Amino acid sequence: MLDVRDLNVFRGSTHVLKDVSFRVEEGELAALIGANGAGKSTTLLTLSGLLPPRSGTAVFTNDGEPLDLTRASSEKIVRAGLIQCPEGRQIFQSLSVSENLAMGAYTRRDRAGIKQSLEEVYELFPILAERANLHAGSLSGGEQMMLAIGRALLAQPRMLLLDEPSLGLAPLVVEKIFDVIARLKSTGVTIFLIEQNAAMALDIADVAYVMETGRIVLSGTGSELANNDRVRQSYLGVAA
Amino acid sequence: MSQYFFQQLINGFSLGSLYALVAIGFSMIYGIVRLINFAHGDVVMIGAFSTLALVTAGVPWPIILVFVLAVGAVAGMSIEMVVFRSIRGASQVTGFIATLAVSITIQNSALMLLSGQPRNFLFPAFMRQRVGVGGVNASLTDIAIIVLTLILIGGLFLIVYRTRLGTAMRATAENLTAARLMGVAVNRTVLAAFAIGSALAAVAGFFWGGKFGQIDPLLGFVPGLKAFVACVIGGVGSIGGAMMGGYILGLAEVLFVGLLPQEYSGYRDTFVFLLLIVILLVRPSGLFVRQVEERA
Repeated sequence: MLDVRDLNVFRGSTHVLKDVSFRVEEGELAALIGANGAGKSTTLLTLSGLLPPRSGTAVFTNDGEPLDLTRASSEKIVRAGLIQCPEGRQIFQSLSVSENLAMGAYTRRDRAGIKQSLEEVYELFPILAERANLHAGSLSGGEQMMLAIGRALLAQPRMLLLDEPSLGLAPLVVEKIFDVIARLKSTGVTIFLIEQNAAMALDIADVAYVMETGRIVLSGTGSELANNDRVRQSYLGVAA
Repeated sequence: MSQYFFQQLINGFSLGSLYALVAIGFSMIYGIVRLINFAHGDVVMIGAFSTLALVTAGVPWPIILVFVLAVGAVAGMSIEMVVFRSIRGASQVTGFIATLAVSITIQNSALMLLSGQPRNFLFPAFMRQRVGVGGVNASLTDIAIIVLTLILIGGLFLIVYRTRLGTAMRATAENLTAARLMGVAVNRTVLAAFAIGSALAAVAGFFWGGKFGQIDPLLGFVPGLKAFVACVIGGVGSIGGAMMGGYILGLAEVLFVGLLPQEYSGYRDTFVFLLLIVILLVRPSGLFVRQVEERA
């Protein structure tokens, strides 16, 4: 579904992504783990068309229709069903909760379908229905994360890019978010998950990649990496 | 005394309407591109001269109003496409200099094209008659300005707070990256904000001649500056705040001149900018912007 090859991305004069290649198959949950500043978020911004790569290809294929992510506009990428739930949630604080969700459905025109998606999101996160008319900025951190995911779901993702969904949240909320991710996967949404919380990510991932200073240095199934000595030492806090 | 006061009140609301129309667009544009558009006042001038041209050509008034809205929208979109698009994301200083250049270009083109000679410009006689309501008498022009402005602002609020485009504009103004991740075509949204904001400024130009009786190619400078003051009063980037700031400024100015002894009236603009300085010192974020505290 997603095929990234030899991607090189610069931010200013800094060479952030170096020959990055990876694949995510349809229906899979793939995780990208790595330390802060390794280039994980840059990878996602590039996939969403917000950063033009210097070289390399990134092709997203949905229903047999390939889309070259290195050339397409962010608008077109969203319309193709590749949806990003960005780092730090980035909900629209000054908009109401329901307006935030409406923004998620911005590219959609099927009123009935939008209404149904909205009901599904409210069922998934009942607190959002309760707070529908409040300013999103007044929500707690966990509620804002639910809103960010709900907003992404309203776009009807075929593939969801999640950037650090556990960041700064209480353990109970993190568990809830990961439950939702697992549920999404079971409904057939392909997921590409970026996490610093490597243990949780590897636990639910089908495949995983480890990124260090802009390069993919390791890859394997979630359990393979969870048992890899290097990963255990560097990311799972297990002494050698 | 109270009749005189009410008359001044109407006068102040009418002037405040002009400031509000200009300030709202100024604020919308700042809100979405985070750059101050110093050429915004010149759209008022463009609106005023378009009105004059159409009046001279004998076009009926309602059609002139629609046409002036369109001219303003086109002027605003041109400014966005020619200048702002190429400096998107630039620093305030770049924006300041670039838009100052646009303003000077527009003013001097107008001077060459139209000459610096002020033109007399009056609304038709029936608009200039005064109507009395309970002892207070006001010119029909002032009343028309107040009412039409309220209608336009009402329409604007409907667009901004009740439509898909308006929601996208507010979302883009708050967080450009997140808006793009929602699939918002940011260029089109920014263009729409320039079109709407500048259309309102052009309508202020439509009223300008009617209210002051004279127009000239440099008339945009003062309303541009005062719109800036109005925005600071209300909170830059807030549409409701800009509107309130415009009305407060218009009322304050008229009441200052009308209620203080005659010999102070020459200090009208001094007073306006004194007000600006006081507000910058006391409430730099504006009177109507709540300090939104962000929760982690």
